Amino acid sequence: MSIKKILTENNGEQIADSMLMPARITPRQKAKADQELAAHRKKRQESMSSDDKLRYQLMQLKFKLENYIKKGHFEPTHHFGYYLDQYLRVTGRKKKEFAVDIQIHQTQLSNIIKNRREPNESLMIRLELHSRNMIPAIDWFKLHEMEKGYQIKTDRNLREREKQFVTHSLQEL
Amino acid sequence: MYILEVANGAQHPAQVSPVLPADFRNITVKRYVFRWRPLVADCELYKLTITGSDDILGLVALIEHPAEQRIEIKLLTASSENIGQGKQFDRVAGCLIAFAAQEAMDRFEDFPAISLLPKTNLKQHYMNHYGMEDSGRQLYLEDIGLFNVINEYLA
Repeated sequence: MSIKKILTENNGEQIADSMLMPARITPRQKAKADQELAAHRKKRQESMSSDDKLRYQLMQLKFKLENYIKKGHFEPTHHFGYYLDQYLRVTGRKKKEFAVDIQIHQTQLSNIIKNRREPNESLMIRLELHSRNMIPAIDWFKLHEMEKGYQIKTDRNLREREKQFVTHSLQEL
Repeated sequence: MYILEVANGAQHPAQVSPVLPADFRNITVKRYVFRWRPLVADCELYKLTITGSDDILGLVALIEHPAEQRIEIKLLTASSENIGQGKQFDRVAGCLIAFAAQEAMDRFEDFPAISLLPKTNLKQHYMNHYGMEDSGRQLYLEDIGLFNVINEYLA
């Protein structure tokens, strides 16, 4: 189908609904349009209130977290602590302040962030409450579950240790 | 992600994946409106198909602008039988735009955005249809607008 035919047989709404009909401009005009766009976005971002920015950044973190869970592929660097650290960054809370906010010991918080200690369900609920339900506890739970699933699939040492307790396996029966 | 069969309202699960060299055997100007092969040099090309089918129902060419945390939609079209009145499937273009939005979200941390440069007389339609912002020559989506288009087409 030719562009001419599309433009003559369809109205603007039908075209926008099906395709991008691009403007033809010179590279110089495009460079100017890019500058214009960058300036427009900068102005818009600067005019956002701190509340709007926080809300947006929390939505972004929730989106990334849920997308990661949906993909279902655990990456060892993207553990519970990684996303908890992202949450602190987005909310602009220092570890000390945040530990007070949700009433846990700062060392415990640090260890969870560094993936040296496992989170419990109370923490997940407190995180939900702290975010005013923006990031639900179930998201934190599923993230932790993904990590546990990865561990049990890949932990060779645990398999070696547990071998001694299995005196008869199906092969020998 | 799904597309809608106009005749009976059936939802068909769809997917977006990179265009492969072998796909160009079937990517004709007649069916996909533009010449896509020359874009390979500067753009990332993706195709939309119904899950489990090889038939390409839409194409999009993207250009990444990392310094601006932006992905530009250089070109996009549904296949010719899915353009205008009497089209077989709806939501093809929306799904491809939402895919670009999701890529921007995945690739950039702070303020990801997508943009496009449509013919001036069509700008208002893209703004109405996808909630795009006007920056002069170009249109764009960022922050809540990106979430909206992703939730509408990819959820």
